[in-house]
Amino acid sequence: MRVVNMLAQVDYDKCIGCQTCAKVCPVLAIKMENKKPVINAEMCRGCAACEQRCPQYAIKMVKREEPFTVYVDPSTVDAEKIEELCKKARLHPEQIICYCTATRAEEVAAAILKGAKSPEEISLQTGVRTGCKVECIEPILRLLEAAGINPEKPDGYQWYGRTPTVWEIPESVKEKYSSRGFYFEEDIKLLDKVLAANSSRKEDK
Amino acid sequence: MAAKVISPIKPRVSQYGVDPKYVTKRISDYPEMTSVKLKELFADTPDVIYPSEKGIAAIRENVIKALEKVDMSMIKPGDSVNILASHHGFTLLGGEPYAEVLKTVREVIAERTGATDIRLRAGVGLRFRETEEYIKAFGLDVAFNGKAKGVAPIDKGIPIETEIGTLYGIAAVYDADWIVHVHNSDVREVHFHRHVDRAVKPFGMSYARIETRSTYHQNLGPRGANFTARAIFASEFVQSKFAFATFMNMSPAGVVSIEADNDLLALNEKITADGLRYYGKIMTLLGEIDECIAGLDFPAPVPYVFAAGVIFANFVGANVDLFDLDNPLPPYTWYTEAFYDKSGKPLIENVPPVNPAIKMVVHNYAWGGYPSAFFAHQIPTVVVGREQADLMDRDPQNLDYMKYAVIARDLDSAMAYAYKVAKTDKVIIFDGAAGGLNCSESLAEYLKAKAPEVSRRVDQELLPKWLRQRGIDPNIFKK
Repeated sequence: MRVVNMLAQVDYDKCIGCQTCAKVCPVLAIKMENKKPVINAEMCRGCAACEQRCPQYAIKMVKREEPFTVYVDPSTVDAEKIEELCKKARLHPEQIICYCTATRAEEVAAAILKGAKSPEEISLQTGVRTGCKVECIEPILRLLEAAGINPEKPDGYQWYGRTPTVWEIPESVKEKYSSRGFYFEEDIKLLDKVLAANSSRKEDK
Repeated sequence: MAAKVISPIKPRVSQYGVDPKYVTKRISDYPEMTSVKLKELFADTPDVIYPSEKGIAAIRENVIKALEKVDMSMIKPGDSVNILASHHGFTLLGGEPYAEVLKTVREVIAERTGATDIRLRAGVGLRFRETEEYIKAFGLDVAFNGKAKGVAPIDKGIPIETEIGTLYGIAAVYDADWIVHVHNSDVREVHFHRHVDRAVKPFGMSYARIETRSTYHQNLGPRGANFTARAIFASEFVQSKFAFATFMNMSPAGVVSIEADNDLLALNEKITADGLRYYGKIMTLLGEIDECIAGLDFPAPVPYVFAAGVIFANFVGANVDLFDLDNPLPPYTWYTEAFYDKSGKPLIENVPPVNPAIKMVVHNYAWGGYPSAFFAHQIPTVVVGREQADLMDRDPQNLDYMKYAVIARDLDSAMAYAYKVAKTDKVIIFDGAAGGLNCSESLAEYLKAKAPEVSRRVDQELLPKWLRQRGIDPNIFKK
C-alpha cells in the first residue's frame, strides 16, 4: 500500500530532452513527445526518480492537491493461490519486500494473480519500487518468474534481470568461502524456517 | 562540574534535511550534558592522525606515503582512470578528510603515471544526489577538472558475470581503462554486512545497480549477503580493470592511518581485523547501557547518525553482539524487518527485539532518504518541529515515519516530554562528536564504570572469536 502525495513537474526552460527521466521512471509514466518529457499525472507515483537523476535539475516534486492510495487487497484473491505463488518464489506471503511502503509479498502476488505482468504494472498498482527505487526488484522478478511470466524489458534502465538466490549458490563456491565468514548453509536454514512459518491469517482462523 | 562538550557536527545544507536555520538548539547544549572521550573509556584507544594538530595536512601526507609502495605501472599516460568513492566517507569527521584522500590519490596518479583522464565516480546509498552535494561542497569538481560525478543505482547498468551468476554494476563506474577503489573502514552498517569482507562491500553496493543491491538485501541471507560484493570484485571483468585501493582506516576516535595496496583482499584482511579491534569495545560497551533516551542530532538519515563512531542503527541492535556470526539475525536489518507479520509479531522464534534500553528517541535533526519507519514503529519517537515532520511526509521512503512519531514544537518540550515518559536521566547523543561521545553526566559515569570489564571481555573472549569466525589469524596484529 502506498500513499501518493507528490507529483513530478517539468521545467521546460531547463529541460534539454535527454530522456533520462523516461529511462528511470519505474512506472513508465513519462513519455517523450517532440523531444520533451510529458508526465502522466495519473500514473506518476511520486517516487522522484526523475527529479533525482535529471542532469539539468529540470524536474521538481510538488504536493498533490488530492493524494490517493494504491493497493491490491490480497483478500480479494484466492489465498491458496497467493500462498502457492509466494512459496514457489521462496517468499513468505507476509514477508515485507518493500521497506518504504511495508508492502508484503502477498500483495504483489495478488497483483500478479489479478493480471499484472511486469514490474512496472506491479509498481503502478501496489507502489513497490516507488520508495527508494532500489531494494525490491528481485522479489518482484522472483514472483513473476514463479507465475511463469517472463516480462519484456522496457526501453530504459528500469531493470535488467533476476539475479541468484542463496539456494542457487554452487556447492563449490560455498565450500571455497565457508571459512571466510559467509554462512550460506546456516542462512538457508533460517530463510527456510521463515518460509515454513504459519501466517497470522491462518492463526486468526 | 561538567566537562565542555565536544562540538557536534554542524547541520548541512541538503535537500535531504531541513534548512539548518531550523536547527536552533543542539541536544549537547543542555547543562546536564557532558562528553566522554574514547581514551577515558579505553586506554588502548589508538592514536589518530586526524583530528590532530597537523590538521588536514596529515591526511595528505599519509596518503602520499601509503601510495609509495603501490604499483601504478599498469596505468599508461593515455589511459583513463575512474577513482571510485562512496558517500559514507563524507559523513566521517565532517567529510573533509575523505575529500582530501580523493584529491591526493588523483594528484599522485597523475604525477606518477602521466595519465590525465582521471575521473571521480562517487556512489550513493538511497539519496541519489548526495554525492553531488559533497562534490560541490568540497570542491571535488574543481580538483578533478570537471570530471567528477555522482552515480546512482538506477543509472544505466552493465552485466557482470560472477561465480554465482550475472550481477549488475553501474555502467559509469566501469567506463574507464582502470578503476581505483577509495574507501574507509568504519564499521558502519555492521548489522547488514556483519563485518565480513568489509573492504569489498562497495562493489556490491555503491558501485552496483539495483538488481545487485536487491540481491544483497533480499536474495541471499543476513550472513551471506555480502558475498554479492566479493562475487563482483572477484569477477574477470572487475579484475581486468582493478588497479589498487586506498583506505582511510578509521577508529571511533578518528583516522588511524591511510592504507593502500594493489591486493584488495590482503588489505581486506587488515581492515576487517582492525575494525573488530577498534570498534569492538565501544560497540560492546554501548550494548551494556541499561536504559536511555537517544538523541538524533546529525546531518544524515536516521540510521546513520553517529555517536562515538557508531551509527544509531547499530545501537538499535546493540542488545545483540552484531560481530558474532553465531547470532543468525541482528535486531535490525531489512531481513529482520521483513520477518514481522501483519500483526507485528515475528514470523519465527528468536527474532531479537530492538534494543530495549532505548526508551525514547528525540529526533532533533536527522534526514530522510532512507526507509526509517521501522525505527519510529519500534521505539517511541518525538520529532522536533513541523518542518522535519513535513520533510518525512514528502519523502517517498518515509511516508509512514510520522504515522508512528509525535511532533514537539521545540527541543525543550521534546526533552521534557522524553524525560517524563522515559523515566531516565541517561541520554546518549548521536551528533557526530569526534573522539568520544556527548551524553548526560549520568550516562558518562555509567559508561566509565562498565568500560574496564568490557575491555577485558573483548580482548580475552570476543575478539578471538570474531576473528576466528572470519578465518583471520589473531596473530595478524603482531605482523
